[in-house]
Amino acid sequence: MPSTQTPPIAGAAIDPPSLRPPIDDAEIERVEPSALKARLEALKAQGYTMLLDLGAVDYPERTPRFDVVYHLLKMPVKPASVAEVGTPKRLRVLCGVSGDDTRLPTAMYIWKVADWAEREIFDLFGIVFEGHADLRRIQMPHDWEGYPLRKDYPVRGPARERSPRPAFALKSNVQAGTPPSGRTLEALQEQIKRAREDGKS
Amino acid sequence: MEVGPGQFLLARLDDVARWAQSSSVWPLTMGLACCAIEMMSVTAPEYDIARLGSEVFRSSPRQADLMIVSGRVAQKMAPVVKRLYDQMADPKWVISMGACASSGGIFDNYAVVQGVDTVIPVDVYVPGCPPTPDGLLYAVNLIQQQIREGGRGGILARS
Repeated sequence: MPSTQTPPIAGAAIDPPSLRPPIDDAEIERVEPSALKARLEALKAQGYTMLLDLGAVDYPERTPRFDVVYHLLKMPVKPASVAEVGTPKRLRVLCGVSGDDTRLPTAMYIWKVADWAEREIFDLFGIVFEGHADLRRIQMPHDWEGYPLRKDYPVRGPARERSPRPAFALKSNVQAGTPPSGRTLEALQEQIKRAREDGKS
Repeated sequence: MEVGPGQFLLARLDDVARWAQSSSVWPLTMGLACCAIEMMSVTAPEYDIARLGSEVFRSSPRQADLMIVSGRVAQKMAPVVKRLYDQMADPKWVISMGACASSGGIFDNYAVVQGVDTVIPVDVYVPGCPPTPDGLLYAVNLIQQQIREGGRGGILARS
């Protein structure tokens, strides 16, 4: 039964999205990759004519590592009452994939907007969509290596992974990350503790 | 320049040429991100860069002599900026407007080039996020000062 709480994935020890409270009143359902295409086509036939967004999430601590999320919108059929028009029905379809060997069927022939959205997911996460007409990178340069939005990708880029923060070296930073005035959190805590003790005594 | 007796005005050709160049610096629109909004407001009547000589912002690099890099330079955009800079005719100057163009700004990540001066030589850096329009006008003034003092471009401006 679809509910507003994210259903847990079968067979995973921890499933972070199912531990979260519902954020809105959209219904959420989980689909296996093998049943995904049939389910999406059925939903489109049911009236979910709009794919609002298609995204992926990386949970590195979970076995099917990625969650591909389809945000669907059911527009009211004409003629519709004012209440119907104001509140189209929302549905979120989640599909757990591992990313390396699982390939998802493409949704671009069901909703055209999935074309570039799937390219973006491929570019940033590395999830391959089978049947896609033109699956290549869209945001990163075409010869970029690596999938930047995975949690194990260095934020500053592989070339600058080891250079210190801040990117420029000041004489006043002995180690990168030391504030030049020496006011670290530990020093401030010591200061407060000392002030309390002095105030008490 | 001196006005001689009669109707003669004597000056060095260099000075006249530099006066002409500095009085009509035409920028190339390289509005990449949010700083472009401030660059647009510099062209608006309140700050009005046209009174400093930048009457038009040319879209073609062949017709511009100042490139105002305003905004984040993405990794994907960097070769494009380089190509447009190469297509500009000499003498040319570059203003790096804003924190992102000067050093990467708050975007210390894989996607943003950490300073456009890794790609093209810059003459004036304007700090700010975004810099106020008068900051950009001051940078244009510095470029004009460089031009009048004989800078070809590539010399850091004196503050």
